Amino acid sequence: MTTTTITRAVPRSSDLEVPERTTRSEHNRAGWLFAAPFLVLYVLFLIGPVLIGLLVSFFNTATVVPGLGDWVGVDNYAEVLGSGDFWASMWHSTLFTLLTTPLLVVLPLLFAMFAARISHNQWFFRLAFFAPYVVPSSIVCLIFAFMYTPETGLISHAFAWFGLTAPDFLGSVNGAWFSVVLLTLWWTFGFNFILYIAALQDIPEELYEAAAMDGASPLQQMRRLTIPLLRPTISLVLLLQVLASLKVFDQIYLLLQGGPDKATRPAIEYIYDTGFTSYRGGYAAAATMVYFLVLVLVAATWALLRRGRGAQA
Amino acid sequence: MFGAPSRRDFLRLSGTLAVAGLAAGCGSPFVSSLTGSQPATADVIYWHLFGGGDGANMATMVQDVQRTSGLSVEATLLSWGNPYYTKLALAASSGRPPDVAISHLSRLPLLAEAGLIESVDEAGLTDAGITRDKFTPAAWSKATVSGTTYAVPLDTHPFVMFYNRTLADKAGLLDGSGRLKPMSGRQGFLDAITAMKDAGGEYGAISSNTADPSTTWRFFLTLYSGLAGPVVEDQGTTITLDRSAAEETFALMQELTVGKKLMPSSATITTVSTLFGQGKVGFLFDGVWQIPTYRGIKLPSGDPLDFDVVPFPAILGDQPRSYADSHALIIPRSGARSEERSRNAVTFVKGLLDDSAIWADGGHVPAWLPTQQSKEFKAKKPQSNYVRAAFDAVYDPPAWYTGAGSDFQNSMGAVITKVLAGQTTPGPAVDEMTAGLQTYADAKPPVG
Amino acid sequence: MSAQAPTRNRRSVQADAAGKAFNRLAATCVVLFALIWLVPFAWALITSLRPDNEITADPVNFWSSSWTLDAYTNAWSANPIGWWYLNSFVISTLSVLFTVVVCSMIGFALAHLQFRGKRVVLAVVLAGIMLPMESLVLPQFMQFRALHLLGTYWALILPSISAPVAVFVFHAFLKQIPSSLIEAARIDGASWWLIYRKICMPLCRPAVSAVAILTFITTWNAFLWPLLVLTQTKSQTIPVGLSSLIGGSAIQFAETMASSVLGILPLFAVFLVLQRQIVQGVAQTGIR
Repeated sequence: MTTTTITRAVPRSSDLEVPERTTRSEHNRAGWLFAAPFLVLYVLFLIGPVLIGLLVSFFNTATVVPGLGDWVGVDNYAEVLGSGDFWASMWHSTLFTLLTTPLLVVLPLLFAMFAARISHNQWFFRLAFFAPYVVPSSIVCLIFAFMYTPETGLISHAFAWFGLTAPDFLGSVNGAWFSVVLLTLWWTFGFNFILYIAALQDIPEELYEAAAMDGASPLQQMRRLTIPLLRPTISLVLLLQVLASLKVFDQIYLLLQGGPDKATRPAIEYIYDTGFTSYRGGYAAAATMVYFLVLVLVAATWALLRRGRGAQA
Repeated sequence: MFGAPSRRDFLRLSGTLAVAGLAAGCGSPFVSSLTGSQPATADVIYWHLFGGGDGANMATMVQDVQRTSGLSVEATLLSWGNPYYTKLALAASSGRPPDVAISHLSRLPLLAEAGLIESVDEAGLTDAGITRDKFTPAAWSKATVSGTTYAVPLDTHPFVMFYNRTLADKAGLLDGSGRLKPMSGRQGFLDAITAMKDAGGEYGAISSNTADPSTTWRFFLTLYSGLAGPVVEDQGTTITLDRSAAEETFALMQELTVGKKLMPSSATITTVSTLFGQGKVGFLFDGVWQIPTYRGIKLPSGDPLDFDVVPFPAILGDQPRSYADSHALIIPRSGARSEERSRNAVTFVKGLLDDSAIWADGGHVPAWLPTQQSKEFKAKKPQSNYVRAAFDAVYDPPAWYTGAGSDFQNSMGAVITKVLAGQTTPGPAVDEMTAGLQTYADAKPPVG
Repeated sequence: MSAQAPTRNRRSVQADAAGKAFNRLAATCVVLFALIWLVPFAWALITSLRPDNEITADPVNFWSSSWTLDAYTNAWSANPIGWWYLNSFVISTLSVLFTVVVCSMIGFALAHLQFRGKRVVLAVVLAGIMLPMESLVLPQFMQFRALHLLGTYWALILPSISAPVAVFVFHAFLKQIPSSLIEAARIDGASWWLIYRKICMPLCRPAVSAVAILTFITTWNAFLWPLLVLTQTKSQTIPVGLSSLIGGSAIQFAETMASSVLGILPLFAVFLVLQRQIVQGVAQTGIR
């Protein structure tokens, strides 16, 4: 942070014309001016909604009508915390996270390690695995809804090719989870894959050569060398994955509308349904705050754990 | 080398021209999204939720109105149910809603209480001759929330009885002129269905009762309303479900399915259309909008399916009652709508009403009396048979959570489905229904 | 040492052979998966080019006897896709422009200016990365309704500008610029603005392109917030506009898939051209 003048050829004497205090106040003024646009927008549009949500959660506010409505104290929170539907939706978000996270942390790692062993045509893997990530969620759902069509869809047929009966992809609860997880795997696989590929490129080739010289098999190399070295990346991918999965909305809403019979409705869709479909803004704001708190706690726990581990190392 | 800059210049030029061209129309979506001004992509912007046959009829009507009035209309079809109403509310609260939109009358209370739509008076519809005396009374009164009328009913679409005429003839249920003999009361109803089954039907009657909570709710409300009033009152905050009436209704439903096996205890929409379409069932309880589904259907024998449609008679209680809903035209409130656009909207609404004979092809009963009493409509069969059902109509009780496609219908329907399937008995079912109503009644209404 | 050498060699030769076999296995595996990953794209494209009656007769067939572009003509006329392109393009471009300028400015301040409260600002921005904004759409909606900005591009652009992740990318890059360079410029009388504009920005091109590309992709693909904010048919973005086709009249498969292909096309083109930069950008920032 401290400014250094060692590398400068200009003699320090020239600084004498600029007294230290002026420099400081200049830095102050310029610093705040440069930071101001960001900070204003940050306070307005990142902090603002948190405060508005908190405020509104104590009122019986209608989402679509101007004004706060009546003060209701903690009634909204009491109702949210006692609502089976709310907790069901929180569980669905969690279940989605539990179903997708292991797949999306482990499989991309495995394939990144495989792909890294191939020296040529890396562009092809980037294209195949990462391209889905630039496709909007609604189009992913359009294509997959088409492929999941009973009897005529491609995936339904693929089951038949292997002599299996396709589950009712959109009509049964298990089928619905299967279809959402498969879609998500296809869609977001590439993101983690790229993060791993980048980390793998930072591992010096010599380490592998030395390991091979010691007679370590490729699997041993992966287990004893690659994975320990990738641990920080894996931990980052895990966190990003958990946070992103807990915020799931698009696929489940678009493909299933939270169905069958709300059996997959995630937390954000619960807020959407109560807040925008039923106009219960105050109540949905209370649900928002509870959900928001859970997400922040997950992130904060991770940060603390990492700091703890960092201090040990 | 020389090509590159000139091509870039060309691109820049064409880009500028394109943006200038777009910006030229001040009602263009580009300009209105940039400046917040009112969009004006057509003289009338119209949202509806009709696909399939209804969608085709609506398209014909819109085209016809465009031709006769000279107005340009941008009609957008949106997904049915909650997504539609959510989007309508979002658009209204963003201050740039469509000029005219369709709403089910059962979904009107929330829209009206939230102040998202203009009353018929405010919108200038009254001055255009759109008044109470020209509509089916039940529909007009459902369009009225707390004394103010907010919607122009386009139709009434009741829950009715379809019957197979071939089977009815065999069962001796037809009168001299080949129509279903009048029946009444619980016993008369059961006898007629039994006769149908005895006449060779696989079942006496059928109704879609698996994974179709809206239909089971319609069936329930049709029967229950002969005995008691609305299940909730005071805008949905007080539960007024009549315990004995509900138990009696459930008892009859179970007698039909698991008791006497006159109806299948589980049947999906597909089962229903297959069995009734193949002439294997005497009665079908469903909405009039299903008429186009069965029109011109061929039986396995090659003969056409011969069916007719009548309103429900009085079954429980003395008065005939039919669950019904109505499609209605509403004018979403917008502070910035010009007077000219408001006038266009009125012209458009009036035009659709005058064309509602076309709309009746979808099975709906026109709510606009000049059409309902016209020769053109009276010649339509079976539509003109069940006009009475529009007058006996029972709608969802007014509340912020009720209405077509609502969660309320889903949760009520789920209980009724269990009753029909014999998974519960009337007593516990009423308890479960009451518990379901309680969560809605306890929640604070967002408006009103 | 000399005694061990032969064993080690033999072992490494064995390991080498095993390694080669393993590499071949890994290559087969990963190539197979990559091909499977391309199937949905291929499938959408093929279906969009087949005539409707052929799809109905034989839905699962990768070949057509009469390829046709009819579905594209129909898709283009059935929906205002042109408007949706324009809206998405305007929103994403403006978001990128403002994000790059605003976030690089504060990144510059944090990297090269010693102002009071800098530590606090840095901590606040860092905390911002953890804020799950997607969960706050409801209060956000109420805020923008109060600001009378619903239904405008600004409702989408304004919240996307202050991106903490972008600040960190710029901060990390700008810190690598030696402060000696900046001090020298100061002594030559250059204003801070000039230093930021003429020295620092040109030096952190990679950061600019990483932030720009990723902001473009995220704003282009955003779904929930634009769904709530832009409701007029012709003012929607590509993802929201096309979402209305899901669960619609399911019989026009070719037209639906043609719309999908049209929706994929712009970002796909960007991706093909800027593949390397995008991938590097993701690797550096982990934005999503």
